[in-house]
Amino acid sequence: MSDLKISNLHKHYGGFHAVKGIDLDVPSGEFTVLVGPSGCGKSTLLRCIAGLEETSQGTIEIGGRDVTYARPRDRDIAMVFQNYALYPYLSVKENIAFGLRARKFAEAEIEKRVSRAAEMLAIGHLLQRFPRELSGGQRQRVAIGRAIVRDAILYLFDEPLSNLDAQLRDDMRVEIKRLHNELGRTMIYVTHDQIEAMTLADRIVLLRDGLIEQQGAPLDLFERPKTRFVAGFLGSPKMNFVDATATRTGVKLADGTTLDLPGQKGLKAGAAVVLGLRPQFITVAGKTVAKGHARVPAVIELLQPTGSRVQATLPLGGASIVAELAAHDVSKPGEKIHIDLDLTRAVVMDPQSGQVI
Amino acid sequence: MSGLPLHRRAGFRLSFRYLLAALLVIVFCFPVYWLFIISFKTPDEIFAFPPVWYPASLQFGNYWVLFKDGDAGTVWNSLVLASVSTFFAMILGTVAAYSLVRFKTGGENLAVWIISQRMMPPVAIVFPLFLLYVYFGWVDTYFGLIILYTAFSLPYVIWMMRGYIEDIPLELEESALIDGCSRWEVLWKVVLPMARSGLFATAVFTFIFAWNDFLFALVLTRTEVTTYTVQVTHYFGGQSNFWAKIAAMSVLGTIPVFITVAIMQRYLVRGISMGAVKG
Amino acid sequence: MTATVHPDRNFKYWLVAPAIFLLLLIGLFPLIYSLIVSFMRIDMMDTDTSFAWFYNYKTLFKDSRLWWSLAHTLLITAVALPIELLLGLAMAYLFLEKMPGRQVFISLLVLPTIISPIVAGATWRLLFDNRYGPINQILGWFAGEPVNALWTINPTLVYPAIIFCEVWQWTPFMFLILLAALSNVDKSQTEAAEIDGARFIRTFRYIVLPAIWPVMAIAILIRGLDLFRIFDIVWALTQGGPGTKTETISIYAYVQGFKQFETSYTAAIAFLVVFILTVVCVWAIRRMGLVK
Ligand SMILES: Nc1ncnc2c1ncn2[C@@H]1O[C@H](COP(=O)(O)OP(=O)(O)OP(=O)(O)O)[C@@H](O)[C@H]1O
Ligand SMILES: [Mg+2]
Repeated sequence: MSDLKISNLHKHYGGFHAVKGIDLDVPSGEFTVLVGPSGCGKSTLLRCIAGLEETSQGTIEIGGRDVTYARPRDRDIAMVFQNYALYPYLSVKENIAFGLRARKFAEAEIEKRVSRAAEMLAIGHLLQRFPRELSGGQRQRVAIGRAIVRDAILYLFDEPLSNLDAQLRDDMRVEIKRLHNELGRTMIYVTHDQIEAMTLADRIVLLRDGLIEQQGAPLDLFERPKTRFVAGFLGSPKMNFVDATATRTGVKLADGTTLDLPGQKGLKAGAAVVLGLRPQFITVAGKTVAKGHARVPAVIELLQPTGSRVQATLPLGGASIVAELAAHDVSKPGEKIHIDLDLTRAVVMDPQSGQVI
Repeated sequence: MSGLPLHRRAGFRLSFRYLLAALLVIVFCFPVYWLFIISFKTPDEIFAFPPVWYPASLQFGNYWVLFKDGDAGTVWNSLVLASVSTFFAMILGTVAAYSLVRFKTGGENLAVWIISQRMMPPVAIVFPLFLLYVYFGWVDTYFGLIILYTAFSLPYVIWMMRGYIEDIPLELEESALIDGCSRWEVLWKVVLPMARSGLFATAVFTFIFAWNDFLFALVLTRTEVTTYTVQVTHYFGGQSNFWAKIAAMSVLGTIPVFITVAIMQRYLVRGISMGAVKG
Repeated sequence: MTATVHPDRNFKYWLVAPAIFLLLLIGLFPLIYSLIVSFMRIDMMDTDTSFAWFYNYKTLFKDSRLWWSLAHTLLITAVALPIELLLGLAMAYLFLEKMPGRQVFISLLVLPTIISPIVAGATWRLLFDNRYGPINQILGWFAGEPVNALWTINPTLVYPAIIFCEVWQWTPFMFLILLAALSNVDKSQTEAAEIDGARFIRTFRYIVLPAIWPVMAIAILIRGLDLFRIFDIVWALTQGGPGTKTETISIYAYVQGFKQFETSYTAAIAFLVVFILTVVCVWAIRRMGLVK
């Protein structure tokens, strides 16, 4: 059963077409992440689902019920906002209880639910405080608490962690993942942080200019992007793109290097293509060349250590590429090494349409 | 400049400021003092020459007369009119301001039209209003003056509350909508508490405007709802003013405002500066 | 039964409807009524509702009492407003820096503003009394001989009296607003200018004034409008007398309407007032840069 079903949704802001016909089906219990560059319409889509924006065209069903024209409060949803949206004049406890009171829950039930939510989020000791007396992370917990005390069908999150510092963000990410596992509710989460998207999502929906570019499991999108946009958007450091010419069995780079791409059929020999190689799928040459890998020589131009890994910038086929290598495998710029490219995971794209071939 | 050490000069400066401040306080407060003191004087002291600067003892006789004749009831009339009209103006004005801010109802034009009503000189409308009120039988009724004061305060309330409401984060309201509030409940449970200090500051000024009104009350009241401002002028008479009554009535009519202002002081300063900044 | 329109569409109109209704009733209706009546010839003797067209407006131009009342109003405005502004500014500077007891001083200084104008007028009537009032008494100390100035009767003294009272009541208002505005001026900028050796006047002209101008302009506008329709203080002090010496435009309109019952003519005056105010406001708002 699906908890959310969107058909052909459009949204116009005056003359501006922000959402251009989206179809989406979210099964019960799934954690769906909406990602995309700034301004692509993620928030707009989420706000349409919440009923905070009027839709221009299309339908929205939540829990099997058509709610296209329903008020936000009649949609059976809960939402966590980017800036916490806590009421400064209410205590933490009353903030969490706000939705229950608005829905006329019995006092005993409110008491029970608030303390359970507080316990889950480890904010039991803060209940009597006011929002101004809390840290950013604590505020965000309260905001999440306010959503989870309710039995909503759908839980919406609009960039809930973007106001937190990096460390706290990692912690809260784990927390949200745990909550999802414990509660088993359907959640829709907007972010433009692709690490959040990759780690949290059961399914990623990648938006671009008001349309869905691709959706699927995180690894699916990561390894089998359908377009150059998807390939470039997901993954950090970004995928390397190298201009090349197609041959019968692979590609030929600008400097004449030919690479055989296993499993690539349908390449039109002589056509201009773009080869996409993830930095993670490049390694320093070992004893043997693994099947489907190609070994090429390279001179390190630049090194950016990130801890156990190091990002090395190298020339390849007339372009500069980035490889993510083990830190102890390389020492300094100028070093001459050999690298192995995992061509089984390389993608080839049409330079004009951006479609993966 | 001078050979004085720096701290001595700072000391002179401060003393000078205190001197000026004291002088100003005397000049600005003396008339209030005089009014106050006359109200406690006996007729002999009032009409003494040279004037008596402070009475030998505080006489409450002047006030006693006002209460005995029922004149003091006009303060009650003012109180009813000012508070009830403030109450309604605050509700209608806040709600309208909310609509103007959140939904841009009527666009800039409506907002400008409303503020332009604030510039309307009372004397330009008081005469036709008088005829209208005669026609409806609203002259000398609470109802008539209350709707008049309410309407007259509305532009100010709307203008002020617009500024305060603009400062409320939209997310708070949206969150409440999702959590189960109707639009009205959002107003009641989110917007009003968030705009609390603005509401108080605006309410005090609205109250004072209505309280101070003289022209409308002069024209539209007779005997039933005479306000204290009109009552004060009843004691004016060519050469022989009823000095004691003027003073006592004025003090009676000033006390409620003093109390209000004293209680609300911390909201007022913000209200004045905010209102001025936001225009 | 699924709905097919978005709910709460009319909510925003419900919110403004009562306010607009009241404003139309109290604000717009009388104005339109005035406009129509001003073209008729209704007065106390005669409820002739035939149209006289511009008759009343033509009379306006020949009515010297009207133009004098306008002149009186402008005189009071032109003298009182600059005094209030400058005095208020000076006072704001005096209390700008912290000093012990500052809040008490400010609270005391604001007293005149919260008093009803009619009471302010009445108070000064008591103060100005030629025999039993303290003003003449105090002046006598300085003069060294008894002073018997007839403040509210002597034609050369009534204007100082009115302006005194007006300034006394409203300077604190200016003071409060300007104090708030001055406190918001970025300290680091003025200090930087002082370190550069800029004189006070220059600092004020090029740094402080631009910063406080938006607030100051509104304060001037508000006070200017209030002064233009001044009624209460003058009424309490002189009722427009002696004779019609201190009749302001508001008092004149009131007298025409409620003492002479010149319905149509009063309506025409009302329109003249609205017209002048509108022109002045629009000009001032443009001129002061209050709108982009
Ligand atoms: N109220 C509005 N009026 C007009 N245009 C709007 C409005 N809200 C959003 N837009 C436009 O719609 C587009 C999508 O906005 P949206 O907020 O959905 O982007 P987003 O994907 O959430 O971006 P971000 O990651 O920066 O939050 C943007 O181009 C934005 O300028
Ligand atoms: Mg967004």
